[in-house]
Amino acid sequence: MGLPLKYNVRNLFIRWRATAATIAGIALVVAVYVLLQALAIGLEKSSRNTGYPLNVVIVRKGSTAESSSQITREQFRFIKYLPQIARDKNGNPLVSSEVVVLINLPRKNGDGEAHVLVRGVSPAGISLRPQVNLVAGRWFVPGHREVVVSQKLASRFANFDIGSSFKTAGATLKVVGWMDGQYSAFDSEVWMDVDEARAIFDRENYSSVIARMLDEQSIGAFTNRIESDKRLPLRAIRETEYYASQTKTAVPIKILGNFLATAMSIGAIFAAMNTMYASVGARVREIGTLRVLGWRRRTIMLAFVIEGAFLAFIGGIFGCLLALPLHGYSTGTVSFDTFSEVVFQFRLTPGLLVRGMIFAIIVGILGSLLPAMRAARLPVISALKSV
Amino acid sequence: MTIGGFILHNALRNKRRAILSVLSVAASLFLLVMLLVTLRELTVPPEEVESALRIAVRNKISIANFLPARQRPIIERIPGVVAVTPFTWFGGKYKNEESLSFAQFAMDVSTLRQTWAELNLSDEEYKAFLSDMRSCIVGRITAEKYNIKVGDKMLLTSTVFPIDIELKVAGIYSGTIDDRNVLFHHKYLDEMLGNPGTVGMWWVKVRSVQDMPRVIETINKTFANTSAEVKAETERAFQLSFVSMWGDIKVLIHSICSVVIFTLILVSASTMSMAIRERFRELAVLKALGFKQRELFALIFAESLGLAMAGAVLGVGGAWLVFSHTEIMKYATHGIFITFEVTPRIVARSFLVAIMLGVFSAIAPAIAVAKMSVVEGIKSID
Repeated sequence: MGLPLKYNVRNLFIRWRATAATIAGIALVVAVYVLLQALAIGLEKSSRNTGYPLNVVIVRKGSTAESSSQITREQFRFIKYLPQIARDKNGNPLVSSEVVVLINLPRKNGDGEAHVLVRGVSPAGISLRPQVNLVAGRWFVPGHREVVVSQKLASRFANFDIGSSFKTAGATLKVVGWMDGQYSAFDSEVWMDVDEARAIFDRENYSSVIARMLDEQSIGAFTNRIESDKRLPLRAIRETEYYASQTKTAVPIKILGNFLATAMSIGAIFAAMNTMYASVGARVREIGTLRVLGWRRRTIMLAFVIEGAFLAFIGGIFGCLLALPLHGYSTGTVSFDTFSEVVFQFRLTPGLLVRGMIFAIIVGILGSLLPAMRAARLPVISALKSV
Repeated sequence: MTIGGFILHNALRNKRRAILSVLSVAASLFLLVMLLVTLRELTVPPEEVESALRIAVRNKISIANFLPARQRPIIERIPGVVAVTPFTWFGGKYKNEESLSFAQFAMDVSTLRQTWAELNLSDEEYKAFLSDMRSCIVGRITAEKYNIKVGDKMLLTSTVFPIDIELKVAGIYSGTIDDRNVLFHHKYLDEMLGNPGTVGMWWVKVRSVQDMPRVIETINKTFANTSAEVKAETERAFQLSFVSMWGDIKVLIHSICSVVIFTLILVSASTMSMAIRERFRELAVLKALGFKQRELFALIFAESLGLAMAGAVLGVGGAWLVFSHTEIMKYATHGIFITFEVTPRIVARSFLVAIMLGVFSAIAPAIAVAKMSVVEGIKSID
């Protein structure tokens, strides 16, 4: 096995022009596949990375987004004093009643407008989310028309610099700070005081309520209490679960990625086949010699398949290297869950890179299978005679 | 043997390679067409003739915010306005489905035919719809998908409002650009919600194209500085406002298109030069026989272009047959892409890429042939 293998691998470098083109082709296919999957992973990661384990979100039963949920003030007062809710050092329950509104704002580069999710939070709302930190400026003051925007959104929308302001619903909102949500869904939000938000957007009711539970056991008791009460048309769900279920946007990206990879790989398989056939065709006499020396058909076939796989393996490595610089790069599109702009990052996980390499090797094997069979089937005598 | 026959024989001499080259070009061009159509669907929503006379009026904050119903008589009084209808998204889940699969809108049925003149609905069905407040009409695509017949009942659970409604199907309509929606009486929605006095948005039908700019301006001005400021725009502008929400996805598809084209050129160029290199000796013989440099170039270019064009006919033609003559994409994407039309422009662009491909692939071998000396060429094996 040693000789044919070494012979095949070295051959790749002799016919370097065709080899290089095929490697580059496979590299690009792998890069496209890895990048699109990295996008889907990034989206899922940002929603799965959101929430605090002991927090519970309460929304209206049947609503699929916070912006279409409604909780009346009476309902909120009832929820607020349930015994499972943790309290701060002054004895006040750790609860935030919130209002979620979508507003249309111009993009930074003048490229149209998009929806931004504005969340009005109670004073406790900030400490309920330890993930969210202020990175510049200061927090908004309750009662003032001030907002804190995510730093990642600030680079995508006009008028989101600290000190600038924008108009919506007849009110002027001043940006006083930038926050960072540590790659969570909060990176796609704008926060302000809940009562100001209710006043400006003319909302009688709240959209959702966030509550911190005393401990793990309280979560079950609390959700049961809410769901079993016929007077409350509400649903309580663990905050982490609530965000983790928001995966509608990632699905079409994954489908697109798989589809493109399949379609492009068909082209790449044809190209690899071409290279391998040429490589076999040019070496007919040498293959005959190997056969005469005693190497068996299946050894020769295997050697050629390995040659194809090795070719694709190098292509795969280049593809991954090509995609790697985009790891962590921020991008954004419309979320199908919230209907607003969602900012997320390309995430190239080790598992994904392994999948990309496997994908490349499959392309290589499929592309070299037929040429390898041809090499193995060559009749010895006529192969030796061929010029 | 004619020159044409000579080229053809040469191109097909190694049949396997010729077929593989054509197929790899075809597969890539098929993909390219598909990406271009996707991009077009994302950035240029389909347009209908009637839409030039319709104005969309939404809350200035965003479409997700309601408008007060009291705005209606004010809009109706503006000269040039023919009809006004409220249009409220119900966001209902059908039966026990997990997610929303088609949209339902509450509207004023009495203005249906004026506002959407292109909508086909028989007179009996329209009368039945008009007379029964708890009825609805269903778009052809949705009716076919769920096998809904006139007289059936539809149960819808709203994700926007805290209600369920049951609607009787009064008719099946077609003829709009997207025959998927369910339309029902706004009065019924108001009744179910206890008359909240709000609507999702307004559609305004205008008398003539000349009236459009003035009516749009008047609507915007009328509600400026009120508690519910509006944004009125043409149907086209309204649709395009959704396009910019896609954000970086457009850029992404653009870059994938470029990568596909680049890969294509790379791979075909390599195949072509492989084919020419194999024939160095013959080309040297031709040179020795007195064929001129440019005749040899012509041979190489013709062969390369021929292979690329064969691939283009197969790939682009195949895409055109599949996408413009079947509704495969509509089902594959669960209705995200409705028309998925391969336009002449896209066909032309793809063929242009194929021509480029043929020319680029021939350059390297042509240079090699030009440089080669006859003696060297004849000596070369393989």
